[in-house]
Amino acid sequence: MSMLVTCPTCGRRPSTEFSFGGELRDVASPDTASDFARVYLRENTAGSQEERWFHLLGCRRWVTLTRDTGTNRIEA
Amino acid sequence: MPVFRLDGRRIDILDGDTVAAAAYRAGVRTFSRSLKVHRRRGLYCGTGDCANCLVTVDGLPGERACVTAALDGMRVERETGWPSADRDALAINDSLHRLMPVGFYYKVFARPRWLWPIAERVIRRATGTGTLPLQAAAQRTPTRFVRADTLVIGGGVAGLAAAAIAAADGSVLLADEAGLGAAATDGPTRAAIARLTDEARAAGVEILERHAAIGIYEGPAAAVLGPEELVEVEAERVIVATGAIEAHGVFPGNDLPGVWLGRGAARMAALNGVPIGERAVVVANTHEGEQVAAALRTAGTDVTLVTGRVLEARGSRQVASVTVLTPEGRRAFACDALVLSLGWAPRDTLLRMTAEPEVVAAGDVVQPGCTLEEAEESGRAAARGEPVQRRDADPWPVAEHDGYVCVCEDVSMHDLEQAWDEGWTSSEILKRYTTATMGPCQGALCSRHLAEHATAKGAPPTARGRTTARPPVRAPRLGDLIGGVHEQVARRTALQDRHVAAGARIDHSGVWLRPGTYGDADAEIRAVRERVSVMDVSTLGKFLVAGRDARTLLDRVFPLDVGSIAPGRARYLLALDEAGYVMDDGLLAALGDGSYYLTSTSGGADRMEAWLRNWADRLSLHVHLIDQTAPLGAINVAGPHARDLLATLSDDDLSRAAIPYPGHADITVGGVPCRAIAVGFVGELSYELHHPRGRSVELWDALLGGGAAWGIRPHGLDALDVLRLEKGHVYLAQDTMPDDHPAKLGLGWAIGSNKDEFVGKRALERMDALPLERRLVGLRFDGAPQRGHPLAVDGAIVGRITSCAVSEAAGGPIGLGWLRAIDGIFPDRLRAGDVTATVSATPFYDPEGVRLRA
Amino acid sequence: MPELRDRPSGVIVCAADPSALDRLVPPGHGARTLRVAPDEMMAVVAPTFTDDVRRELADRIAALDDDALVLDVSDGWRALALTGDDADHAFSYLSALAPPNDGGFVQGDVARVGAKIVRERDGLLLLVPAYWGDHVRTRAIEDAGATAGPA
Repeated sequence: MSMLVTCPTCGRRPSTEFSFGGELRDVASPDTASDFARVYLRENTAGSQEERWFHLLGCRRWVTLTRDTGTNRIEA
Repeated sequence: MPVFRLDGRRIDILDGDTVAAAAYRAGVRTFSRSLKVHRRRGLYCGTGDCANCLVTVDGLPGERACVTAALDGMRVERETGWPSADRDALAINDSLHRLMPVGFYYKVFARPRWLWPIAERVIRRATGTGTLPLQAAAQRTPTRFVRADTLVIGGGVAGLAAAAIAAADGSVLLADEAGLGAAATDGPTRAAIARLTDEARAAGVEILERHAAIGIYEGPAAAVLGPEELVEVEAERVIVATGAIEAHGVFPGNDLPGVWLGRGAARMAALNGVPIGERAVVVANTHEGEQVAAALRTAGTDVTLVTGRVLEARGSRQVASVTVLTPEGRRAFACDALVLSLGWAPRDTLLRMTAEPEVVAAGDVVQPGCTLEEAEESGRAAARGEPVQRRDADPWPVAEHDGYVCVCEDVSMHDLEQAWDEGWTSSEILKRYTTATMGPCQGALCSRHLAEHATAKGAPPTARGRTTARPPVRAPRLGDLIGGVHEQVARRTALQDRHVAAGARIDHSGVWLRPGTYGDADAEIRAVRERVSVMDVSTLGKFLVAGRDARTLLDRVFPLDVGSIAPGRARYLLALDEAGYVMDDGLLAALGDGSYYLTSTSGGADRMEAWLRNWADRLSLHVHLIDQTAPLGAINVAGPHARDLLATLSDDDLSRAAIPYPGHADITVGGVPCRAIAVGFVGELSYELHHPRGRSVELWDALLGGGAAWGIRPHGLDALDVLRLEKGHVYLAQDTMPDDHPAKLGLGWAIGSNKDEFVGKRALERMDALPLERRLVGLRFDGAPQRGHPLAVDGAIVGRITSCAVSEAAGGPIGLGWLRAIDGIFPDRLRAGDVTATVSATPFYDPEGVRLRA
Repeated sequence: MPELRDRPSGVIVCAADPSALDRLVPPGHGARTLRVAPDEMMAVVAPTFTDDVRRELADRIAALDDDALVLDVSDGWRALALTGDDADHAFSYLSALAPPNDGGFVQGDVARVGAKIVRERDGLLLLVPAYWGDHVRTRAIEDAGATAGPA
């Protein structure tokens, strides 16, 4: 009864099988000041955004997907 | 002759009768009393859309009498009115309704403040429909999952036609709230439905009768509720063909018994053979007027058919006359039934729940008032994926200055006007303030009126739309909604049966079942401190981290210097998130071949796995992370005689040299291969034996058997709580907050000093440069403390007790709590109610850690 | 009425490079192989052959990926066989997943926990982490109407 997420290994599944990992962001920052922005500030896009999903009840792997935050459709 | 009882009175049942039809034939005219003013309400829609005829059937409230088949022996009760629906003492509210304008309860009972709880109780008793059958056995509604290429909701002409065509492209499931054809009142419709049913069945459509779709969700998916099951349907597309009812007419007297909507009246007359009255007036501005009149006449009712605007209906217990503004002018008619076909209200609630393009509509719901041929064609078009031309539900009847808009909630036109004047100027706010559309029919009658009112008042486009439609469309029971889940999902260790057999109180600890105590937590504590004890810690998260980049990953993610952990050694591990906050803790053991063994808290296992996999993925590191939480059990052997006990069951070297603290070694205990990890959580000499889960019982039995010489007894979570508290160890999420960085917890020592890079490092640098404003501290009390109690200085709250216990080993009541700094200084004496708390160094017991290093 | 039976099984995990797993010749002894992730394969076999399959896998994968890991994780899994003509229908009470076709497997939400489902000749084999075993067994009996078969 929920949004469908496409896992490359397991196929199209309800979002309830997943754990949401938030917007895709850099793994590190060059200095302390830019690190604050990296950790705390979000783009919060209305539209397409790249984000991380973990297939908790399936293959237990992460995938980066693009979702339209307005329609809740996974684009890729 | 089959009979049922209505409030104790015998009612005869003829073939095909609904509860409403049989009751009406027997002369029952009042089916309920309205919510607020207790007005008489009779049958109105006759199609299951309004809430006038809700009755309790065989103890279950909320059944719609007009669509419930009457069965021999049924016990039916009307739900409103005291002492009865016919003679209701609270009908006095009707005369007092001027004292009860819209929203009056918000204003009248606001002061004095003590009045509201009393008023609320009285209001609750006086309103509501039906009594919950609290004595009834818990309901178990089976839930099943179905996938279909096409789901068709509604088995009328349009729905069946759509299903038959769609079956050519894939699997089709069709759900209809009633039996197929139950609503057909005339020959041509019956014939069309019979023909299309055959066509659909032949095409392989699966038909679920008496199954109502109660909601459409993302997917698209739908919840379909049958008499004895809930079906969750996932479909590639959904075709909604739920039809329409006549528009609700708003005019003075519109809620009198005897006022009907056209199709429902026609059904009563033509299908059940029950005359709705002797003299009926049909006011029809749609082309179904003739049809309705003809149906009424078949039951012997004298019918006058007019068109125009209904100005007023009058009557006391039921309608007696109506005034209509016809093209020829005002006309008044005496009648005992008034039947309305003033316009169309599509049953579009399901459609308004979704914006997905895969949900489309066909038939009356999108082309209200269409002919049989048009309905069939629109069904076929929808199935072929062609756009179905939407026709407006026109004409929409003009509302008079008074009359009930929301019949369920007794909201009149006058109430809407008053609310608007008070400043509630949008359809959504009007809904919330007046409660219009919030009754059992969920706006089936009045939601368009609300929007039309806002539009007529000049509200901007954003403030005059239809209010949001949400599931469920029909009132399901709680037993239906739980989707077949009757217990919490729970993980069990291999020792669960042993714990139960030993009489343990089994607790839900997060997602695990764990023994709280085996009967005497104090005795368990003493066993650990003085002799030897065992605890089932199989719930711990456990992972093998291997692969060429294993050390790189662990070093990059965790704040400890992984490289300095020699093979055979282990180290306390803090897991920090990117904001530098403590996420979890555990142990990291170096296995000597470049791989590592990692443990986490029981509740943190899934998150730890996801966390590590994410970093390995993002950093493109070649790592094998293998779950060991499931394959391995773990038993903690703790107490001054722990080593003595193991020595009776093992030939291996158990000395400190062989198993350092903190460290590990592979040994065999009672014939079971174990990784023995020297740990210190409870503050006594302890060995956590990690072993194959399949041999847990064997190992447990061997330990309890061998430990009998020392009076061994197992300990559970209750004892563990006190033992760890005596050592000042934190319980994550109980003693910690989501934004605790290590310094706040006094765990700065767990951060490696030589590390260039680890997750959260920069955040820690940032926070370490700021003054500490909150700290977790140890506390001693001069009385009995309470967990969760605030800590105060001079009456001002500066913290809270997060854990506490009366401790024998520590010599009194102890606890942990967090404190805020006052002007940069942390207070050291506080009040918790009547008790004085003094900040105290931790550990409270064996501060040098001599016992666990033995 | 479908039957539910415990199926003691050997489970071996093989973690290696995706390309190595793509080229890996599956082990014998009637083992079913499940590619649960690009970098992980699980082999399920009758318990008597667990060691043989583990050795076969270890030898074969070592030649394709010298950093591969092969581990016996049998204790970590509970295998429940749901057998009978109506096994698929019974399964629909436990999960929204479409059961796998012949020779295939799917993994996802079964009775609210993560499970793998393998198609067998006479029904479906449900593989769940050992700590979920009792939960899934109870749900299969109470919700899916399975009868507990002989041990």
